Amino acid sequence: METARRRWTFKMTPVRGLFLLIALIALAIVLVRLVLGLGATTNLNDQWPWGFWISFDVLIGVALAGGGYGIALIVYVLRRDGFYPIARSAMLTSLLGYVIVVLGLLIEVGQWFNFYQPFISWGHHSVLFEVFWCISMYTLIQVLEFCEIATEKIFRGAHGLLKAIMPVLLVIGITLPTLHQSSLGGLYYEMIGKLDALWWSPLLPPFFLLSSFLVGPAMIVLETALSARVTKHVVPLPVLRGLVRISAVALLIYFIAKIGDLLVAGELGGAFAGTFASNMFLLELGLGCLVPLLLFFGGACAKRGGLILYGICVVAGVVMNRFNVVMTGMGEYLNRAGGQYFPSWTEFVVSAGLVCIACLIYLFIVENFNIVGEPGHGEEQSRQEGKFVTD
Amino acid sequence: MPIQSGRARKLCRRSFLKLVGGAGVLGATLGIAGCGASASADAAAGAAGWMPSQYNVPAGWPVQVRGRVAIAPDNPSITRDNEKCILCGQCIEVCKNVQSVFDNYELPFKEEIICIHCGQCTHWCPSGAITEVDENAKVIAALADPNKFVVVQMAPSTRVGLGEEFGFPVGTNVERLQYAALYKLGFDAVFDTNFSADLTIMEEGSELVRRVLGVNEHDGHANNTLPQFTSCCPGWVKYVEYYYPDLMAHLSSSKSPQQMTAPLYKTYYAETKGIDPKNIFSVSIMPCTAKKFEAARPEMNAASRLYDDPAVSADVDVVLTVRELARLIKNQGIDFNELTEVDCDKMMGEYTGAGAIFGATGGVMEAAVRSAYYLITGEQPPAALWELTPVRGLAGVKEAAVSIPGAGEVKVCVVSGLANAGVVMDRVRAGDRSYAFIEVMACPSGCQYGGGQPRSSSPPSDAVRTTRTETLYRIDRECQLRNSHDNPEITALYKNYLGEPGSELAELLLHTSYTSRAEKLTVKRV
Amino acid sequence: MTNELTAGKAFGALVDIPRCIGCESCSVACKLYNGLDWEEERKRLTAADRAAEPNKGLWPEDWTSIAQYNPEKDGVRTIRFVKSQCFHCDEPACASACFSKAFQKLPQGPVIYDQSLCVGCRYCMLACPFDIIKYEWDKAIPACRKCQMCAPRVAEGEAPACVAVCPTGALFFGEKEEVLAEAKKRIAAGDYIDHIYGEQEAGGTGWLYISDIPFAEMRFRTDVTTRSLPSYTESYMGATPLVGIGWAAVLAGLYVYNNKGKDHLD
Repeated sequence: METARRRWTFKMTPVRGLFLLIALIALAIVLVRLVLGLGATTNLNDQWPWGFWISFDVLIGVALAGGGYGIALIVYVLRRDGFYPIARSAMLTSLLGYVIVVLGLLIEVGQWFNFYQPFISWGHHSVLFEVFWCISMYTLIQVLEFCEIATEKIFRGAHGLLKAIMPVLLVIGITLPTLHQSSLGGLYYEMIGKLDALWWSPLLPPFFLLSSFLVGPAMIVLETALSARVTKHVVPLPVLRGLVRISAVALLIYFIAKIGDLLVAGELGGAFAGTFASNMFLLELGLGCLVPLLLFFGGACAKRGGLILYGICVVAGVVMNRFNVVMTGMGEYLNRAGGQYFPSWTEFVVSAGLVCIACLIYLFIVENFNIVGEPGHGEEQSRQEGKFVTD
Repeated sequence: MPIQSGRARKLCRRSFLKLVGGAGVLGATLGIAGCGASASADAAAGAAGWMPSQYNVPAGWPVQVRGRVAIAPDNPSITRDNEKCILCGQCIEVCKNVQSVFDNYELPFKEEIICIHCGQCTHWCPSGAITEVDENAKVIAALADPNKFVVVQMAPSTRVGLGEEFGFPVGTNVERLQYAALYKLGFDAVFDTNFSADLTIMEEGSELVRRVLGVNEHDGHANNTLPQFTSCCPGWVKYVEYYYPDLMAHLSSSKSPQQMTAPLYKTYYAETKGIDPKNIFSVSIMPCTAKKFEAARPEMNAASRLYDDPAVSADVDVVLTVRELARLIKNQGIDFNELTEVDCDKMMGEYTGAGAIFGATGGVMEAAVRSAYYLITGEQPPAALWELTPVRGLAGVKEAAVSIPGAGEVKVCVVSGLANAGVVMDRVRAGDRSYAFIEVMACPSGCQYGGGQPRSSSPPSDAVRTTRTETLYRIDRECQLRNSHDNPEITALYKNYLGEPGSELAELLLHTSYTSRAEKLTVKRV
Repeated sequence: MTNELTAGKAFGALVDIPRCIGCESCSVACKLYNGLDWEEERKRLTAADRAAEPNKGLWPEDWTSIAQYNPEKDGVRTIRFVKSQCFHCDEPACASACFSKAFQKLPQGPVIYDQSLCVGCRYCMLACPFDIIKYEWDKAIPACRKCQMCAPRVAEGEAPACVAVCPTGALFFGEKEEVLAEAKKRIAAGDYIDHIYGEQEAGGTGWLYISDIPFAEMRFRTDVTTRSLPSYTESYMGATPLVGIGWAAVLAGLYVYNNKGKDHLD
């Protein structure tokens, strides 16, 4: 029993090999970045201080990892027990998302070794201060939440303690992301006049919060579809359908609010200006809101294929939204005196490498811990079924 | 594995946690207590350098000298290496107080940064930040071009300065070594601007006489304005164009020596020697940075206009200051001290003592008086006019009265330094017609301490000025011929080519006109 | 680090554009005093070159610069020089954006930067309404770089290096009210546009500009908000703790209520 419990497994496949390769290349680039600086590894410049890494690793990473707190809210606080089968998986991917975010941030900031400064030197008037505290605290809490699962297998002595404090962790673990998801939007408050009026709004924080909430289920649909190929664990269709219903309602509210906000600000006309930014805005809203709403209310989401399509559209919409805020919407201002920015290949590879690392960790954890099995007796059951341990 | 290394790792982890926890608690305490809430100026970045001490006083306190002059990036004469500038304020000192250029205008600027290119700031700059615009590369390229016939002229003052760059005592006359160096550098013909000075006297002296007699014409218009001003000094000419455009008619229409013989190299010399003027590349060695500006003036293309051929380049293609020439000689590995003295090319190389003293303040006046006497009376000037002492010396404004039979007593004035010129000009503007002829040199004491001469003392010292000037007068004294009109090559030039002073061809090649720059600035009214 | 000259006073400076002759004493003084490097590829740039640069000639080692513009005045092409440097906003966006207090506004006026506190997130660069802050992209340990208004000099009652060396009076330094009064005096006495740039812009700045040519023709940002930028986030940040605590309380209540009588989930 003791030896069996300590057994670790990781199945090497060609795809995983590719992930590993990309991750290693990314690590090599990170090494270059640490030695030669950001100028050598990114196309960032004084006109474009923020680029691909901030938008992808941080803003998109945090948004897409938003499924974790949403599910925690639905399952643990609101006790919609029907969604429990996907809770652990959603919260694990959320954790890994935040690991990417934190790693990405450490690479992205200039003086990474000073990362702790905001803990000591409180720039409490900065929205980024809130984001920083919330993300770091939330990541810690997610680690603890995961430890509750991990201690089912290792360091089992601590399991009881962790289980006891879980309610506290859950409550804080939902509060913090609510704050920082919205604050990521709040970051762009100060870009008034710089960020295109199609995106800048006093409602940026709620928009960011709402979109991170509604993208959660979409991500879970996609994740479970992907991980089903690996774990052979198929999430029941009603569970996903129920999730998507929540998402779709939120999406409808988001869509109406967004249009309403532009109407009130008198900026809706700008959406049809025919510029690059306005076209990107239409694409974002069309693909990310209109299409999935039509899919859902048109009944296409009854089937797994429709759900996946919904998920793809919503995720794409939120990804585009974050890219648009950081890059497209700032482009006209930042380029107006001759600036220019397009991410270098190294920026793409490092971001891809981070994702690969997260995937590899996910696969390792899913293979070794009880993530997708039945609650309570997952480990024994899964070993009996011979799914996760190949010894 | 984890169990085996657990002990060490546990210790590490504990100390690490202690560190992080300690820092966190400390930080939180400090943050809540409001410590570090306001930083002090010490925390600011920068402040790692120094400032000249005159600036380290409370704001608003008077500072004796402050800042520096503005130099346009396209200034053809002078440039500045910002890295060497120490903001000592000396360039402003000379530009404003000696030359009355800086601050002698209302702000804002209109179209350009005001500069008369005299280059005195290159002498006053203690750190060598302000220098001439180095054009050696163009000369090296021309010398290396087998199709180019490269001629060079060297100005009167250059021979009393160049030696200082090679260890000779201040004021040593290195004329014949300089010729040798120029040949060694590869110039195809070496001419002496002293000859050009003689030619200038012929034209300018004749013009003065015509004005006095009331028969002067230029550009088809009668111009008998007196007093006549010299026009040899391009800094002075631009100063008039800026500050006294209403007095431009006083300026002699005769070009400066540099610009007089330069078109002759591409016409008279080229025709005589059978050289295609398009292949002649004309260099001049000058004690002056303003000469670079003068050579670049658009109207200074008489040869091209004569032949109506735009392929003939500007009369002077490149002006090198003496400092640049010294650098060129050194960089080409020529040991100046080991050279053998030689003569320069004939045809336009012979000179008289009158031409030699152009480099000293009063020199042009003295030379002009000698020939004016001859032109008016038809007789050689008396020996007294070979030592016109009132116009010699370093005084900024000098006067002399010369009795010329037939013209009576002619009063002349000699000025150096533009602040001094401004005083005299204000008198002329006010109607003072007591002088017949006024010589002005922008640089104090004349060309021998011009903006392109070696920096043998910085700022220029009167000791160096006097020594160089004495050498110029000694050259004059030791000359067989001391009147410009006696120069046989000049006689030949008029006989063979130009006809007579003021002829139509002379008018085209040797005379010029001036451009008012009144719209470029608003002169400060005191 | 204050003395009787500076205690309790806030300083600013005036840039009188028509009085600038483009001598660039100011930018040289900045290099001298702050010990900034002369970079080979930049030291030969002209003021006109700088006017064509996206950053108007500000780089990590160039904290102030002169750019040359050739606007038309009364139908005639003319020449004007504009000094750029940090505006030292009364309520600086960079300082409000900085989450580790690396940027701070000193009571005497300068907005300073302390690299030892900086994480390097560059949010300040985006937040700055005038795009002043530059970054050392080529360094392994990079810093944000910008004019510090010679804070140690100002604290001692001395003018910033650039103002101290200005030979024409185009730069004027004094207490903020004094500077504003001087600007108004000069506008009243001379040929100026009746607009003090920086009096309202970004909620008021420590450095003010007056000009005889419309600011828009010399690449001044004319669409900048007149509300102080920190005020956009102040109320948001002020509400955050309350929202957080309130939300946590709601969640806790819901948790307790919904879990009543039910088995705990793992």
